Amino acid sequence: MPDIFIAEPKETAAAPNEPMPLISEDETNANKTPASLIDDRELESPQNPVHLFSAFKKDPDGIDFQDKESDEKIILFIRRSFITNVRWIFFGSLLVILPLFLPILLRFFPNPLPFLPVRFYFFISAFYYLVVATYWYINFISWYFNISLVTDKRVIDINFSNLVYKDVAATKMNLVQDVSFAQIGAIRTFFDYGDVLVQTAGTLDNLIFESAPQPENIVHIVEDLIGKRNELFG
Amino acid sequence: MNYLDKILPFMQLNLWTKVGFLAIDFFFILFLIVAIRQVYAMDAIISGSGNSSAIKLAISILLFIAVSLFLTALVIL
Repeated sequence: MPDIFIAEPKETAAAPNEPMPLISEDETNANKTPASLIDDRELESPQNPVHLFSAFKKDPDGIDFQDKESDEKIILFIRRSFITNVRWIFFGSLLVILPLFLPILLRFFPNPLPFLPVRFYFFISAFYYLVVATYWYINFISWYFNISLVTDKRVIDINFSNLVYKDVAATKMNLVQDVSFAQIGAIRTFFDYGDVLVQTAGTLDNLIFESAPQPENIVHIVEDLIGKRNELFG
Repeated sequence: MNYLDKILPFMQLNLWTKVGFLAIDFFFILFLIVAIRQVYAMDAIISGSGNSSAIKLAISILLFIAVSLFLTALVIL
């Protein structure tokens, strides 16, 4: 009578005596960096570039602005925190999906615009989506071009909103007297952004970095720069 | 004559609707031209702050679509 309670030994996929490689094949390939792979273009490209959606970058590369001195180094690149864009992204998305509910509306009002020929409907809907796309675009570039820069020589604040308002303000680092930040509200605390106030000497306007990400970090960096300036020039 | 009396007001209405649509689209094209000028002006002030070629391409596409819509409406409507 066969013993049914004794299980047969399982066959293992790998032989037990076979030595296991310490580094996988992929890892060994990743470590190989032949000189032929590194071409001149890679060497010329910036090491720490600012991307399309970057809101905070320390020691960025590849940025150039008007009147930049040859020996001037950009320490900080700041935009408004990306979370501040949620409102227009949400509203724009609502505008995109709104026409999808039009058939429900037409059920109750079969012909809402009786004076309008049917062939106009295509053009009106195409124009509507063009306006919505432009709304997205204008809001995006209002965020994209609203930039603050901290260099080793000065602080620059570029305000740009809704295509019609453009303001570029700059102050030298030795005129910066104090820097502080305000982070008010649960959302700002949660997403770690706030307003940074750069106070300047005399009658010069103060600079405000609105909704800047990592405000505490920014304050520390600017304070360090002010301290270094004071040490160097008394 | 009777048929023309009936159709004429609608034709005039169509004409005014067409003119109205073309006028709005025209002003929209002007707005986009202002936008494209501002984008290039801002890019001259500060460059390298992301992918500015994508920004320029996007506004160019919007302007192209607006002009296409205007010309198509001019011919078809």
